[in-house]
Amino acid sequence: MNTVAPDRESAEWLRDLQGNGGAREHAIARLHALLLRVARGEASRRRATLPDRAIEDVDDLCVQAASDALMAVLAKLATYRGAARFTTWAYKFAIFETSTRLRRHAWRQRKVELDDTIWDRLPDAAPPVLQRLENDQLIVALHRAIDDHLTERQRLVFQSVTMDDVPIDVLAERLGTSRGAIYKTLHDARGKLRRALVEAGHGARVS
Amino acid sequence: MTESDLERLLGSADPDPGCDHSGELMDAYCELMARGEPLSDRFAEFLTHIANCTACREDTESLLAVLREQARSGTG
Repeated sequence: MNTVAPDRESAEWLRDLQGNGGAREHAIARLHALLLRVARGEASRRRATLPDRAIEDVDDLCVQAASDALMAVLAKLATYRGAARFTTWAYKFAIFETSTRLRRHAWRQRKVELDDTIWDRLPDAAPPVLQRLENDQLIVALHRAIDDHLTERQRLVFQSVTMDDVPIDVLAERLGTSRGAIYKTLHDARGKLRRALVEAGHGARVS
Repeated sequence: MTESDLERLLGSADPDPGCDHSGELMDAYCELMARGEPLSDRFAEFLTHIANCTACREDTESLLAVLREQARSGTG
């Protein structure tokens, strides 16, 4: 990405955070306060998605998220290119740290596992996206393509994300990897399925 | 099968650079959106990614909400 000369306020943030002594300490404290405010705002927006048991832990999660976001910002200062204001760039880390924690917290007591029975369940017990596919030749071809073309890990990721609505950050935690790596697995699985469906004569629907 | 069901299962076939590369554009995208400015072609793949990836889409919406709230309150 190209480097752009930062605006005056962003340049001041960089100067203070890259400096030494009191100015740096003051800038770090100011930045932490901003990141904590963003983290709490994100938690507030996501409150409805959290189970009741998770609510009391939310502020602790926000404090942890703000601290980890601050560490990430300081570690990646040299990668800031000025494409957006410094604070916007920094908020991105707070959003990521907070949303990831909240998704994982909401799923803490739920299992994530490969469930082949979803294809055979009665319509009202299948995932909604499958309920709408009843009696469709495409669903038969899709099921076959999943069985024939995907690895077990790809099947787990594809089914969990697209049918069971498991957040990608939850899968990343359970499988010991990153959001980006899980997304690549999903992306590769989708590509294989798309190609298999085209070969099975469903190209007009999937291209 | 509706087209939206299919899109949800298979995503878009358009080029998608993934979470890490898209994350690098998220802040610039949100600032342009918050200011109501037009997007250049360099955001095309980013837009495909946030259509395909729920987590990155939600994070983008959250960052945009922060910027809009700051603009409303005059703290941005």
